[in-house]
Amino acid sequence: MAEPLLKEETGIYKKKYPYYIENPVVENRVAQFLEAFAAVLNYTDYKPLLDSYCITNTKCNRCAVACPVYVTTQDSRDIPCYKTNLLLEIYKRYFTFGGWFRSRFLTKSFELTEEIIDEMLDLFYRCTACRRCTNECPLGVDHGLITRLGRYILSLIGIVPKALQVSVREQLEGKTHNTSQVPKNALLNTLEFLAEEIEETLGIKVEFPCDKVNREYVFFCAVSDYLLEPDTLMGNAAVLYAAGDWDKWTIGSCNYDGINYGLFYSDWHLENIIKQLVDEVERLNGKNILIGECGHASRSAHDFVPVFGGKKTYPVMNFMEYTLDCLRKGKIKLNPDIITQKVTYHDPCNIARSGWIVNQPREILKSFVKNFVEMEPNGQYNYCCGGGGGLVSIDEIHEFRMEVGGYVKAKQIEQTGAEIIVSPCANCKKQLRELVEYYNLPCKVVGLHDLILEAIEIPGGKTSEERKKMKEEMEIM
Amino acid sequence: MEQWIEFAKGPLFAFTFLIMILGLARHFIIQFYSIFISKGKQLKNVSWRKIFSDMFSWVVPVKHLIKGTRIFSTVSFIFHVAAILVSVFFIDHIVLWQNYLGIDLPSIGRALADILTLVVIGCILVLIACRIFVRRQREMRRKSDYVLLIMVLLPFLFGFLAGHPAINPFPWNTAMLIHILSGEALFVVIPFTKLSHIVLYFFDRLSVVHWQLKPGAGDKVAKALFGEEAKV
Repeated sequence: MAEPLLKEETGIYKKKYPYYIENPVVENRVAQFLEAFAAVLNYTDYKPLLDSYCITNTKCNRCAVACPVYVTTQDSRDIPCYKTNLLLEIYKRYFTFGGWFRSRFLTKSFELTEEIIDEMLDLFYRCTACRRCTNECPLGVDHGLITRLGRYILSLIGIVPKALQVSVREQLEGKTHNTSQVPKNALLNTLEFLAEEIEETLGIKVEFPCDKVNREYVFFCAVSDYLLEPDTLMGNAAVLYAAGDWDKWTIGSCNYDGINYGLFYSDWHLENIIKQLVDEVERLNGKNILIGECGHASRSAHDFVPVFGGKKTYPVMNFMEYTLDCLRKGKIKLNPDIITQKVTYHDPCNIARSGWIVNQPREILKSFVKNFVEMEPNGQYNYCCGGGGGLVSIDEIHEFRMEVGGYVKAKQIEQTGAEIIVSPCANCKKQLRELVEYYNLPCKVVGLHDLILEAIEIPGGKTSEERKKMKEEMEIM
Repeated sequence: MEQWIEFAKGPLFAFTFLIMILGLARHFIIQFYSIFISKGKQLKNVSWRKIFSDMFSWVVPVKHLIKGTRIFSTVSFIFHVAAILVSVFFIDHIVLWQNYLGIDLPSIGRALADILTLVVIGCILVLIACRIFVRRQREMRRKSDYVLLIMVLLPFLFGFLAGHPAINPFPWNTAMLIHILSGEALFVVIPFTKLSHIVLYFFDRLSVVHWQLKPGAGDKVAKALFGEEAKV
């Protein structure tokens, strides 16, 4: 594979990638930033964390080796510790006694300037928030959390990528309450279309459950899946049908979007989006939250429903956990002769970095894919696809995602020699497809349930062999 | 000189050691309170098993020897083990534990202590070299990184010289006094510098707890900055 196309001869890649910001530039950003920082410190509980990191941050820069962005650019500004240090220096100078003392009595003291705001604006969105560096920090400094805090404070003075802000605004204040502005009618039409497709492909007649009350599972996926990933959704539906759980789940028509960009840049939005999700489950009197194939939607629901969900918390399950449970109990059967290509698995950072979902998809895949290869490294130590932390939604930094953020991943994919990359995450799939196209890699990117859709045996429906034959005939035509 | 050594070994030792203990205790109390008391019920959402297994994986960091960091990581690990063993269990230090705190600790022999001291000195020199020659470390170096490494080096170096008159170019008294005073200087700076990771290491590794964000805080921040009608 070629080197990143824009890498300079020095081996250091210094190009900047600006993103669109909707809000007008505020006057005196330094004062506004400090005011916002003070408000955050006043009402949240980041202070002890910052106090501790300010002292212990050794700047050994071991994290640099773990960061796919730094590995590609070799630019010191991309070292996770460098970014973290920007915010810590501001905290130390303006919000600690030591900082006040130094500024008062020593001549050489750090001062926040417009240039530093510009640097933060640039650097905090050059990070994919994959938190691989955190796993490799000997002291456990969570650079992902600090980057996110930096983004949060910047967002409070209006500095946030337009793509993220517009999506969140629609989700929280818009008519559709989802990031892709899919109205209820369009959702219902899509569900009808999916039911027709299922009848044609699997040979079973189903009606997608919408607004059914008292169900076991209330299903949320990235809303974009309804527009872009019909095979993933049909795979989900196939598992529920084959397992005999068709009357145990529902989709809610008031809120059907699992996406939560608050996870990437704002405590305020993160909490309100979670509340919206919990309200829908409460309205339908559901028992569990079932999240489709989406890494950050799964993590935000799994980690933050217990935090922000109020007194009544709902268990959160990723769809792969549900599928594995069905497989182990013998409720579904997957034909091991259908998928013959070489398959690899990309771990979405948001579900793998903590070690939550690492083995489940592998156990499912190995049960029906004969030719499975791992990327190296993988699991908790995987490399980010390059579109994490919301960057995949920012179209104007496409070149950054291809040339910088995703370069290491593209090399990893090439080394596996796989024909199919399985990635159970809407964001990763989008980024990986663009990467595969950009670097001309001979493989396709699918969701886990896209493959399951091909191999699953449906009681009373067409067999997987019949479906495979049908597909091959269609391809010949 | 004898009087100075006695003073350094006696009241000055007690005083500086107390500064270290109180300083570290302050860190411990603030962190313990903010994590275990303030977070309260939110702690039930945290997987402590994972946190402890993560902590343990860094106590013996075999899993973390990734390409590009192997020399630095191995040397750091050996340095920590050797430095702790010598400074706590060296036979002459055991007396201090007994005298001041009445603790009876097992001791390591002089021969092993000598080897470990040389290992510590070697490791510090490698860590200084890393700061100078490894580009990514050089990029963010500060004077204090070198000052602290040298401050850690001094008590080990002069302790070794004091114990080996044959190679000691200084009078025994001088070497011993520098050994004691540099060790005490280290006690004083520990709570105020990154060396306080002696205690804070355990709290830094609790970032999972810090991800348990404060409910309602986001709304309060927005209202404080933009008023009741805050918009996205």
